[in-house]
Amino acid sequence: MVSSLKAGEKGKIVDISHVSHLVQRRLLDLGITEGSEVCVKCVMPFGGPIMIESCGQCIGIRRKEAVQMEVVKV
Amino acid sequence: MEIALIGNPNTGKTSLFNNLTGSYEYVGNWSGVTVEKKVGVFKRTNGYLIDLPGVYTLNPLSKDEGVVTSFFLHEPVDRLLNILDASQLERNLHLTLQLLEFEKPVLIGLNMMDVANKRGIQLNVSQLAEILGVPVVPVVARNGKGCDKLEEVIATQPIQPKKKNLVHYGKEVEAAITALSKEIEGKTEHSHRFLAIQYFEGNEYVRNYLHQIADSVTLRAIVTNLESELQRRYDCKSLTNFIHLKRKETIEKIAAEVAVKTNAVTPLSEKIDRIVTNKFLGIPIFLLLMYLMFMLTFDWVGTPLSDALDAFFTGPLSDWVEKLLTAIHASGFIHALITEGLIAGVGGVLVFVPQIFILFFFISLLEDSGYMARVALVMDRIMESVGLNGKAFIPMIIGFGCNVPGIMAARTIETPKERLLTILLTPLMSCSARLPIYALFVGAFFAGHRALIVLSLYVLGIVVALILAKIFSSTILKSETSLFVIELPPYRLPQFQSLWRSTWDKGKGFIRKAGTFIFAGSVFIWLLSYVGPGGLNVDMDHSFLAAIGGVLAPILAPIGFGTWQAAASLITGFLAKEAIISTMNIIYFVPNDANLQGLLADYYTPLAAYSFMVFILLYIPCLATTATIYKETGSKKWTVFSIGYALVIAYVLSLLIYQGGKLFGLV
Repeated sequence: MVSSLKAGEKGKIVDISHVSHLVQRRLLDLGITEGSEVCVKCVMPFGGPIMIESCGQCIGIRRKEAVQMEVVKV
Repeated sequence: MEIALIGNPNTGKTSLFNNLTGSYEYVGNWSGVTVEKKVGVFKRTNGYLIDLPGVYTLNPLSKDEGVVTSFFLHEPVDRLLNILDASQLERNLHLTLQLLEFEKPVLIGLNMMDVANKRGIQLNVSQLAEILGVPVVPVVARNGKGCDKLEEVIATQPIQPKKKNLVHYGKEVEAAITALSKEIEGKTEHSHRFLAIQYFEGNEYVRNYLHQIADSVTLRAIVTNLESELQRRYDCKSLTNFIHLKRKETIEKIAAEVAVKTNAVTPLSEKIDRIVTNKFLGIPIFLLLMYLMFMLTFDWVGTPLSDALDAFFTGPLSDWVEKLLTAIHASGFIHALITEGLIAGVGGVLVFVPQIFILFFFISLLEDSGYMARVALVMDRIMESVGLNGKAFIPMIIGFGCNVPGIMAARTIETPKERLLTILLTPLMSCSARLPIYALFVGAFFAGHRALIVLSLYVLGIVVALILAKIFSSTILKSETSLFVIELPPYRLPQFQSLWRSTWDKGKGFIRKAGTFIFAGSVFIWLLSYVGPGGLNVDMDHSFLAAIGGVLAPILAPIGFGTWQAAASLITGFLAKEAIISTMNIIYFVPNDANLQGLLADYYTPLAAYSFMVFILLYIPCLATTATIYKETGSKKWTVFSIGYALVIAYVLSLLIYQGGKLFGLV
């Protein structure tokens, strides 16, 4: 899962089907889907959101959604 | 000629709009700053430019995005001006492909080539135009470079796009498109292909539109058949996904042909982000920036300027007007109306223009620089714990300027319940019209700690909003779904010109209100104070105003200010918060040396003054805000609720502060 990556680590998304439907759609709008490479930029404290970078754009998502995104480290 | 400006959020649409139309338009740098349809007139060419909210796709998730889709379906448009962010070409092209399917002439403005170059991306513009079959003009929206060329192309006759059907969706989808086209043949003027594909994607607005003009059972059957066929043959997750993938394939081909990638340098944005969205520093940095903003507004710059303006109004200006009135032998009535009514009422509000402009300047700076989206990210954890969304913080910060645009900015929140909650709570953000009242009272009672006392009121507003959010979201506004995905645009060094434009755009409303609303209100209030049951020019304590205020005064006594003067000014505060100041200036009018601040000490104790400020912070949304709440929620019930809960909360808190303070021996 994305949340297991540490700040600065990269991963490739393999499955986002468990993420809630609305969030999936919005991520798709931003070009993030299965096969996208993401890099964790920073992690907010107290279970706050995670900032990820993909194709040069930065996006904030919540931890609970990040938990449901399966990734493999690259 | 009507041209619609459309593009992804944060691509520089509004800057381009300003450069093309030269109008004073609101420019920001966070998703969804354009909350309404705005129309401008081109500088050189004849024609209207319509600025639409930023969208990633025509299939909407939020109400803000729905504006665009219903615009496409229901309003006439001659051409589309699509602005693309060259550094995010792939993502931007998803929208462009949908626009081309709409089969109206499209013109592309390619923005942020410099950002793309810095990321190591080189684009072949003429080849992109060739492939898409539409004109592509490179522009720099921020400084207007390339806008001449863009207008030249706009002035030429619109040509239909040369190539149709850039994306081939596979034979199953294409067959379904043909089938659906037959059903709606002759029933609509829009492109059948566009409607069919949007319908397949699950676009709610298109679905409602099509179900009105054609048989919904037949249309549904086409989709169900298509879905099961695709499922069987390709094992795809959903029709929406399938269409997206087909577009993506086309886009990848286009990008491979027009873009060359080389090595990139680490953008400055990432370096800044390492600090401002830092684990531990994020929230402290935000609070520090807020503190600086208030110190500059109230202590370091704003107050000296306001004092100077006040000295001018009460000194030279009043003298000149007095002399002029005497010279033209004005009647005593006119004389009193102008000096005691207008100069006191309108002038008393205008002296706060410097402070309000400084505050608006900082809000514009936060928006333009791209920091606002980071605030939403940093605050999301706190907001989530009270059942809100980090994005709700943006309407709230804008609400510090004025609640009306704040409430409208809530449209970018995707989930209806969170949006309603944000709308209901934004009025608790202390707007700039409440600022003159604080400035007056802290000047009179807390001169040593101006910024601190005012900051405490702003923080109180936020804290009350968060507590109420928790209460409302766990009782009357329960919701299971929450959506928080926010794009963090790269930082941009704001340009002074655009900053000044948006500051002026926000601030001019305040000046206009002083010239109209406050002007008329001042005359009316002064008349009420001048006339009484006993006739004209009565002693103010026997005027109609005193009678009206006297009815409410006993209710206000337990919270520290049971005078008819306070009650009367609070009534006028519903029309506009700054009317409280003009009313007080009229009621407590003292000619010559004594000023209002000095006089207030006779009527209020410091504790009562603080209680009064808290009451004003919370007690009621102003008339314009109430109208906006009604417009945005479309519900009388919620509008009445927003007024009702505010009155209750204000009274309870003021009571606690005043009575509690007395217990602790404060006065």
